Amino acid sequence: MTRPLYRLVYYSRNRIAGAPGDVAQTVQGILRASQRNNFEVGVTGALLFNAGIFAQVLEGRQDSISATFERIQRDPRHGDVHVLGFEQTSAPSFPNWSMAYLGRSREAENLFGSIAADSGFRPDSLESERIFRIMREIALEEESAAA
Amino acid sequence: MSAIETSPVPIELAMNTASSGPDPVGQASLAEEALRRLNRAVAVYSRDGAVQFSNGAFDALLRQPAFASGLAALFERTLALHSVRSEDTPLSLGERRVYQIETVPLSHGVLVTASDVSAEMAERKRVNDEARTDPLTGLGNRLLLREQLAELMSDLTLHPSAAAVLTIDLDRFKAVNDTLGHPVGDALLRVVADRIRSQLGRGDVVARLGGDEFAILQVDPQQPKAAESLAARLVDLLGRSYIVDGNLLNIGASVGVALLPGDCADGDQILKYADLALYRAKSAGRGTYRFFEMAMDEEMQARHTMEIDLRRALALREFSLVYQPQVNLDTSRITGFEALLRWHRAGGATVAPSDFIPLAEEIGLINPIGEWVIRNACREAAGWSEPLTIAVNVSASQFASATLIGTVVSALAESGLAPERLELEITESVLMDDTQSVIDILHSLRQLGVRVSMDDFGTGYSSLSYLRRFPFDKIKIDQSFIRGHEAEGPGGSAIVQAIAALGRSLGMTTTAEGVETEQQLSRVAAYGCTDVQGFLFSRPLPPEKIADVILNNRAQPSEPPRKTNDTQGGDSL
Repeated sequence: MTRPLYRLVYYSRNRIAGAPGDVAQTVQGILRASQRNNFEVGVTGALLFNAGIFAQVLEGRQDSISATFERIQRDPRHGDVHVLGFEQTSAPSFPNWSMAYLGRSREAENLFGSIAADSGFRPDSLESERIFRIMREIALEEESAAA
Repeated sequence: MSAIETSPVPIELAMNTASSGPDPVGQASLAEEALRRLNRAVAVYSRDGAVQFSNGAFDALLRQPAFASGLAALFERTLALHSVRSEDTPLSLGERRVYQIETVPLSHGVLVTASDVSAEMAERKRVNDEARTDPLTGLGNRLLLREQLAELMSDLTLHPSAAAVLTIDLDRFKAVNDTLGHPVGDALLRVVADRIRSQLGRGDVVARLGGDEFAILQVDPQQPKAAESLAARLVDLLGRSYIVDGNLLNIGASVGVALLPGDCADGDQILKYADLALYRAKSAGRGTYRFFEMAMDEEMQARHTMEIDLRRALALREFSLVYQPQVNLDTSRITGFEALLRWHRAGGATVAPSDFIPLAEEIGLINPIGEWVIRNACREAAGWSEPLTIAVNVSASQFASATLIGTVVSALAESGLAPERLELEITESVLMDDTQSVIDILHSLRQLGVRVSMDDFGTGYSSLSYLRRFPFDKIKIDQSFIRGHEAEGPGGSAIVQAIAALGRSLGMTTTAEGVETEQQLSRVAAYGCTDVQGFLFSRPLPPEKIADVILNNRAQPSEPPRKTNDTQGGDSL
């Protein structure tokens, strides 16, 4: 019997300060590190970000999710973490790791657009589309709040 | 007596039983062979330090440079002494091996033995560490913190440097324990401990003091900046959600900070100061941090003295009751009085109820004080020439203790007061916790014939469901809606009108509290309030003035009594 799969959805405020170029570099670093760490513990999911927020879906075994979430919680580069959902799921909505820049700012689009293109963000189920939609709305709201 | 001195004895005994007679030469060689083969390292040194005899175990040790040099150093220090044990300064070889050296003077030289005490030393260290470790989280415990504090204190006198003590208390942790059980609570504490650990610098000491209390000793020359930044990080980090055993948990943390040696230079005192600051952080709404200030200690001391005084105030007869008339607007006559408590504290000051009732509730004195009020008010009212009502304030804690009904029954019986003349005033806070049991008590009181009114209406949640759940005899509209700038605006008027209309429909009297001017009086009358209470008619009166007021009330039926003699201002119990 396989152990149950869990899905965690949260968003948090981006606390990275600095010029857009520095922010882009820091975000690149975060993305690379999280991709590597998550792959090692068998966690997949999706990460949306812009100048205002990070919004992330994590899917995996309970202990991997706990450990990943705990590591994320200790990261000072974000704050005000809001968990939108934490529940068991029968199948992963994001079986491949995805991430995307999501914002309206043209300047940021130029900086972050390539990250999204590289990762090929693709919600590929109904559930993932629903989550994606919610996260997208939050991301856009928070971007204007941060501006 | 050392092991080496005792070991020949059993050998000798064994020989005596095995052979027919003593053989000195044979015995000596046997003894020598035994020494050579002994696992324990043994050697005999001459007085000038040359090895005269050594066994294999000793030779093996001497081949280790660390042992040889360690031994040489020990000899230099101690060989002149009569006999020495290196118990307190064992010789360490490398990481794990520790030897204890003993010397025994012989007639021509010194007997040196070395024994491997690594296991004992490791065990001693383990026991030592264990005694200073919190078994649940692996953090230090109170003993460790106290020792480290004491050490730092003695250091501070030599090298003045700055340090801070931070005490941490988790908010809402009890709810996790209560709803999800101790295993989840314990697992959560371990994650909390990890998060705290992740924020510490080298040399910082962290301990779990028990339950959900932690303390940190932070040594950092950049005080108070370092402590402030650590406190802010802890409040943020510990307040972020947790996933523990598949449960998403949300708790918070409050932090108190005291500085060393700025705030004080005593280990126990500094912990107390940090706790005082923590207490402040908690009363400021939790999820925050506070630095200790001397004023906090002074307030705490004042509170402590007040507690001592309050505990003996009943016995010393320091309480008294004053009575404020309540007037009906239709008849312009006094319908009754509200009994208000005063405390004449030793030293001459009169303390307002709002300054000591919360403390009395906290230290469990509210019930005896409340009982005293009910009994005295009933006795006083029973002596009046007219059957006017006597209103007594009853607090939430009195409802929580099962004795309220018994007290009321016995106060009525003892005084002979008709039950319908007693009116108990309760605030919404009484109904907020455990409403059903409170409603049951209210119904029992009602069955006795006692009246019940809702006091200070409009200040709390003002939940209309309370009014539906129990048929109160009276609603008292809080004075903040009657007087003052806001009350006199359109919002205040609308609220008073609405409450008055509500009371009329529900068949309840509505009393406007705090009426001070003719203008306020005509306004509340126009809004439809049925009764009023306030300084316009009378301040609270001492019992000896009541008889005249009642007489006057009867003599002039159309004119309400105005401006009777003063006692203190202030308000309800």
